[in-house]
Amino acid sequence: MSNEQAIKVEGLCKHFGKDDSYVDVIKGASFTINKGELVALVAPSGAGKTTLLMMIGCVEEPSAGKIWLGKEKVYDNKWLTQETRKIRREKIGFIFQAHYLIPFLNIIDNLTLLPQANGTEDKVSKAKARELLTYFDIAEKEKAMPSQLSGGQNQRVAIARALVNNPEIILADEPTAALDMQRSVDVVKMLKKIALEQNVSIIMVTHDDRMLPYCDRIMKIENKAIIIESPEKP
Amino acid sequence: MIHLAKEDIKHTLGKFLVTAMGVGMLLGIVLIMMGVYRGMMVDAEVLLDDLSVDLWVVQEDTLGPFAESSRIHEDLKYTLKALQGIDKSEAITFQNIQLPRTDKKVRVVAVGFDVYGDIDPINPARLIEGRGLKTDHYEIVVTDKTGFKLHDKIKLGRNTYTVVGVTHGSVSSGGDSLVYISLKDAQELQFSYSNKRIQNDRARGIISKDSHMVNAIIATVKAGYSIDEVAGEIRKWQHKSVYTGAQEKIVLTKNLIEKASKQIGLFTAILVIVSTIIIALIIYTMTLEKMKEISIMKLIGLPNGMIIRMIVEETLLLGFLAFIFGNIFSHLIYSKFPKRVVLEIPDAWMLFGIVVLASIFASFIGVKKVINADPTAAIGG
Repeated sequence: MSNEQAIKVEGLCKHFGKDDSYVDVIKGASFTINKGELVALVAPSGAGKTTLLMMIGCVEEPSAGKIWLGKEKVYDNKWLTQETRKIRREKIGFIFQAHYLIPFLNIIDNLTLLPQANGTEDKVSKAKARELLTYFDIAEKEKAMPSQLSGGQNQRVAIARALVNNPEIILADEPTAALDMQRSVDVVKMLKKIALEQNVSIIMVTHDDRMLPYCDRIMKIENKAIIIESPEKP
Repeated sequence: MIHLAKEDIKHTLGKFLVTAMGVGMLLGIVLIMMGVYRGMMVDAEVLLDDLSVDLWVVQEDTLGPFAESSRIHEDLKYTLKALQGIDKSEAITFQNIQLPRTDKKVRVVAVGFDVYGDIDPINPARLIEGRGLKTDHYEIVVTDKTGFKLHDKIKLGRNTYTVVGVTHGSVSSGGDSLVYISLKDAQELQFSYSNKRIQNDRARGIISKDSHMVNAIIATVKAGYSIDEVAGEIRKWQHKSVYTGAQEKIVLTKNLIEKASKQIGLFTAILVIVSTIIIALIIYTMTLEKMKEISIMKLIGLPNGMIIRMIVEETLLLGFLAFIFGNIFSHLIYSKFPKRVVLEIPDAWMLFGIVVLASIFASFIGVKKVINADPTAAIGG
């Protein structure tokens, strides 16, 4: 883990609705996450975990505040670029509760889709995809369709997809929710290993307290504000 | 490079092909409807082209003999022959009759002409079996579509006729099969009544009846004479109307089949619109089915262009395949239609153009859905 900033958020706010239906979801959130850190994001349902993740991921536009991804300021009360999708494509990897692989693409195509959209050569993107599949121990499944793989295998492919573009940040929205205890621990350990080995910052939304000891820090949303704690080590 | 449309179609190939076949059958019906329209136009001109005469002299103030009933004296042909500029002239009759076949009656139009005359309406190129008429009585030349064979006996009125020739493709302007009989037989069939009817007529004081009537006198003009000028001369005579071959064609296409063809044209246009809507609905449904994947693709950062390309390519391919299936379908079934269906290549190309436009229009709906898709919809929250 380095002290180099990967994500910086300052006074981030998000509200929905107007007048009577006005609701504040996040109010004045400020925090910094360094490169190589695995941070757990914990909050009750409806507290705004996914909204926060989507704002950092340049998917949902905040109502106010500032966001830096690496050294680049991407939001300052408005998006500073028209191409938020390009930022996602190049800097961010997403992992979800379900694998959300494209069902009509085989495993290798699911992995190479994004690099190819970025203009990476077919040969190069396939080599990277195969390297990741080997890393996740599913190299022999590269021609299989997602429907032919088990839930755990698909989730590993989904993690590999999040890494295929060498992102600086991974945003994981409850990646272990659909897995049993042992597989959940395996996935979190894997994320921790990736964070360390590839110097990637990971924010992982989780409801499972048993996963917290594997994280470097815990970020809680309480009363619409962010509180950061250190976990008890396992 | 990953080809999203190809991979998506490969994944649901059966469904895609069945959908294309369904739309193709609809397009096939559109082609058939166009073919029916073309067939009507061709049918309308078959008899006129076979006769290939310059003038039609008919009853005064009528659009006879096809668009209106016309009766004219047979001997007018001799008067016409004497006119300067006339080469040949003959009397001709047309009447709808039902030929009694063992299983059912066959509706035909009988053309009556002078077997020994100068103009023979039987086009030798259409004769596929037997010969033309040679005697004045009880011979008939039929079209193959009537189901009668050479040497068959057909009872008509008080007499039995023998099939001496079979033609192919001879139809009236209404699409009914044509048969050919001698003028004398035709006049007998049209104007001769049974003995009891004659007795009844006499009892009512109707005694004399001229059976030497025909429906039209047709004539050809000698080389070097203007058809219009000769027609103008005949118009000076009383109690007659004269049409040139070209005018008779207009009478046929304008007065006889215009409404029917307009109806078919409108029906075809509606079918094209329905096909467009169906293609659009299919594409919309296909896009809706992929909304989750589209949201994910947008969320992970895939550019809209790649997703839109997938939708547009799938739509165009669906339209193209449907067009191919439509052509195959229409070519397989068109001969089963009772009336002539003429499938023409320019019509197929026109439909192809319409299908491409319809597909592009249909893909707009899918594209709009893609552009408006919310990336967060994939994960909720």
